[in-house]
Amino acid sequence: MNTVFKLIFLKIMFLFVSVNFKAVAKEDIVADLSKNKVEISTTFSGAEILLFGAYEGKKNDDIIVVVSGPRGKIKVEKRERKLGIWVTSKSLIFHKVPKYYYIASNRQIDKITNVEEIKDKNLNLSNLKLGKVNKKLDLKEFNYWRRSLTRNMVKKNFWKVEENSISLNKNTLFRKTLTLPSNVTTGLFLVKILHYRNGVLISEEESKINITKSGISAKIYKISQEYSTLYGIFAVVLAVFIGWLSNVIFRRV
Amino acid sequence: MHIYLPIAEQPINAFIVIGIGSLVGIIMGMVGIGGGFLLTPLMIFLGIPSPVAVASVANQLVAPSVSGVLSYWKSSNVDFKMGIILLVGGFIGSSIGVLIFNFLNNIGQLDLVIKLSYFLFLSIIGTIMFVESFRLILKVRRGKISRGKLHQHNWLHGLPFKTRFRKSKLYISIIPPILIGVIVGVLAALMGIGGGFIIVPAMIYLLGMPTSLVVGTSLFQIIFVASNTTILQASQNQTVDIILAFLLLLGSVIGVQIGSKFSNYLKGEHLRLFLSIIILIVGFILLSDLILTPSDLYSIVVLK
Repeated sequence: MNTVFKLIFLKIMFLFVSVNFKAVAKEDIVADLSKNKVEISTTFSGAEILLFGAYEGKKNDDIIVVVSGPRGKIKVEKRERKLGIWVTSKSLIFHKVPKYYYIASNRQIDKITNVEEIKDKNLNLSNLKLGKVNKKLDLKEFNYWRRSLTRNMVKKNFWKVEENSISLNKNTLFRKTLTLPSNVTTGLFLVKILHYRNGVLISEEESKINITKSGISAKIYKISQEYSTLYGIFAVVLAVFIGWLSNVIFRRV
Repeated sequence: MHIYLPIAEQPINAFIVIGIGSLVGIIMGMVGIGGGFLLTPLMIFLGIPSPVAVASVANQLVAPSVSGVLSYWKSSNVDFKMGIILLVGGFIGSSIGVLIFNFLNNIGQLDLVIKLSYFLFLSIIGTIMFVESFRLILKVRRGKISRGKLHQHNWLHGLPFKTRFRKSKLYISIIPPILIGVIVGVLAALMGIGGGFIIVPAMIYLLGMPTSLVVGTSLFQIIFVASNTTILQASQNQTVDIILAFLLLLGSVIGVQIGSKFSNYLKGEHLRLFLSIIILIVGFILLSDLILTPSDLYSIVVLK
């Protein structure tokens, strides 16, 4: 009963969604997100977005979802022991690194498709296409830094892979809850849905999530950037006032 | 209850922050240490980026300092003359400190120098205070205490430009307080702290001020050092998180009142023993961070 409803629901969604979406390949896959906008307000503690869709599937078809956040510079630092003390000895700056990257699939990705395709579509964290680095290094040394970048991005939950996490239903429907962490960066997030059959990409869909600060947090952030000195003076005045107030209150107690 | 911090760009448990603020406030009220050197590492431990932690802690320090000075003022335990002279030195020192900060940052060794100087100051001051106050407590127990001079006379008393500090019952040169102020100012600019943990022992041991006056006078100068740091950090680096500072100061203004009431029931030497133990613990944690092998030799920093 439940599945029938879902099917009807998704068929209706199909009509709506196909208008909004720009299908890159053949139009046999449609998907939508429960919301395209996430507002970070004072009470924000992460967000969950439901991704759902329908496709004209056959047995053994696969779905991969990739979410990539805004890109920026990441510095990798290496510590070395000098005179018994651990000091930061070297560093390397990677440009155009996605500050958030998430891959989900219905089964193990290296069983879904071949190595070239995985590399081409950025489905392996160790092989993501990034921008330049600020130093000339030989390949061996570069790989060392690159692996450290991946390891640390994963450790901080900025990058994540969840294979076997998408549930496919009767080869026509799929859904996936995307969980955005509470320390998520603001900006435009690109959601890509890839549909594979026997290792070949047969269609793909794209959608966007816009994450912005809102309410008081947005105002405070804006003021701190645009009127920075005034903001600092206000912060001090507020602290002096509360210090004085607490003294007055405690004197009475 | 989680509250989103607009500058640190992450949510934080408000109750934990208020709780930490009140604990540090109690210590501040008791021993006059700004709490910056305790709060900043704790905030970094909670995941706040270190530039934001340093700047926001400086902002919050203003409130308990104001609150504390007002209570010490009421019991006339603030030497304003001494405080102002320390401040003059402090402003000279912080200008020098900013230059050193930029120089070290350019050669890429800022982090190391900060950690090392932190450790050195903490362990030296902590050890001296611990030994001295422990000896005094033992002496008092055995009943061998002799009340003679107000303080020991040393070479510092032979310097020129002598002036009278009525409150502290001192007649000394203004050079040592100014120099102490300069050193504290340099360190405040480097490490983003009020400098209480250096100025308090310096007033007791180098200047020979009565312990009862030291805390209020230290808090008095911290108000200005912390305000100056806050405005500079806000205008130059935009790293002051007013929400984080607000949560911290809610706890600390209450804590500082409790602490300053509590300090009336404690003897000076007990207070100093307590302070030295805190200083030594923080120094030890810092040392272990410097010499223990990290689990991953590589780490990442997200750049703006």
